[in-house]
Amino acid sequence: MLSSERRSLVRFLAIYLGSTLILFSLGSYMFYNFQKHQIIDTQNAQLELEAQKLTQKLRELHETYKKPLLYPNDPAFDSAIYDVDRGYIFGTFKPTSIEWSRDFYKRGDKLYCLHALKPYYLGASYLLISKDFNPKPLNELLKMLLLFLVAAGVLFTILGLFLGRRFIAPMKESIELMNRFIEDTTHELNTPISTILTNIELLDTLYNCEGQKEMRRIEMASKTLSRLYEDLTFLKLNHNYHRALERLNLSELLEERIEFFQTLIEAKDIKIIKNIDPNITLEMDRNDAIRLLDNLLSNAIKYNHKSGKLEVALRANMLEVKNDGQGIKKEDLALIQNRFRRANSSEGGFGIGLDIIGQVVKRYNFTFTIHSDINQPTKVTLTW
Amino acid sequence: MVKKTFIVLLLSTLTQSKELTPLLQQNCLKCHVKQKIPSELVYRRYLLKFSTKKRMKESLLSYLKNPKKENSIMPQQFFLKFPEKEALDLNDTVLEESIKAYLDYFDVKDRLELEK
Repeated sequence: MLSSERRSLVRFLAIYLGSTLILFSLGSYMFYNFQKHQIIDTQNAQLELEAQKLTQKLRELHETYKKPLLYPNDPAFDSAIYDVDRGYIFGTFKPTSIEWSRDFYKRGDKLYCLHALKPYYLGASYLLISKDFNPKPLNELLKMLLLFLVAAGVLFTILGLFLGRRFIAPMKESIELMNRFIEDTTHELNTPISTILTNIELLDTLYNCEGQKEMRRIEMASKTLSRLYEDLTFLKLNHNYHRALERLNLSELLEERIEFFQTLIEAKDIKIIKNIDPNITLEMDRNDAIRLLDNLLSNAIKYNHKSGKLEVALRANMLEVKNDGQGIKKEDLALIQNRFRRANSSEGGFGIGLDIIGQVVKRYNFTFTIHSDINQPTKVTLTW
Repeated sequence: MVKKTFIVLLLSTLTQSKELTPLLQQNCLKCHVKQKIPSELVYRRYLLKFSTKKRMKESLLSYLKNPKKENSIMPQQFFLKFPEKEALDLNDTVLEESIKAYLDYFDVKDRLELEK
């Protein structure tokens, strides 16, 4: 699966699962609250029933009024009676504060029921009853909801993956079509390009050919085509071909690649300033390094002004390429690293250069930064 | 015989509770016993209606200063059995203290105990 496909699938799944999760969480929260109130109401009903029993007892005690008046003491409940001015009369407990405005309330892990009395048996105007809240039904409800959310999560992830794959199928087909086209084209291009380049060299070596200027142009165009072929082959085979890591002399390779582009540099009358430290080495596959350097240099030449300046600096842990171009808009900087994306259409190309650079940089864990702005020089820095 | 039994019962009920103060004995119970007025029943009725000592005291004071049927909270039948009370010749301080002694004597809080 290509990274763009994976990205699209991840985005789709994130939106799909995210919205589903929000919806389900909201529904579960509402259901939990509803059930929680039901559970509390059931337990409150027990308090209410106990309040009625106690009221009856208080009435009996009031009517007999024989000393001692034995206040009922059920171990499952705490109770207390208060006069009309909310003064404490008697009880099995004495809470520090009471919510006088509420008939039922929960504080901590206790449920309270405030039952109003009229007439005032034993002078009691309020009967407060309390019992420990039984959390078991609530815990079971929570467990059930969590189980439901997990099951729904699994189900919707599977469904999302299925839908996601169907969702990106047209995109996948387009990319495959494009890749197949590139593969076929590059295959057909390889032989004629090689023939042209070999014959130019032969003409140069064996015959003192007139029309050197025209020959250089043919060489330049052929090299561009050759490089394009190499880039396209790299992209096509990037995931499959075997890399041979070796300790590369990057200084020498960079000089070699600049030499490769010499014809292009001369054609645009670009002044090249080289600050290449000797014998800088790096553990890399040679083809990866060539693709990286070629694309950096090619872009720097391609998007340079005629008679512009190209600065190439190589240090122990850094490569810097700077050119005098039209610059890149700040908002385009993040986008141009995607395949087939180009910030500037003034020059030809498929816009795959920075994508190749990005892939090599990612593979070797390099750091890649572009500093530019419109009508400002563009500086590309690679550190390792 | 019935009269004697009633007095004995009344006194025995009274002596079960708090100490009988001379003030209470002199200003209240002396006549209540004589006229067989059930003091505890009166207390319970006031307690049932007013709930607190303060409210009971206010009501009793108001009634004792002007002891008419319409100022009493006792039912009409009560006055068929017991004579309408005459106004007491007591100043406010003594009257208030007597009411306090009466309410303390029957106080519900002193009678309540937790069931074992």
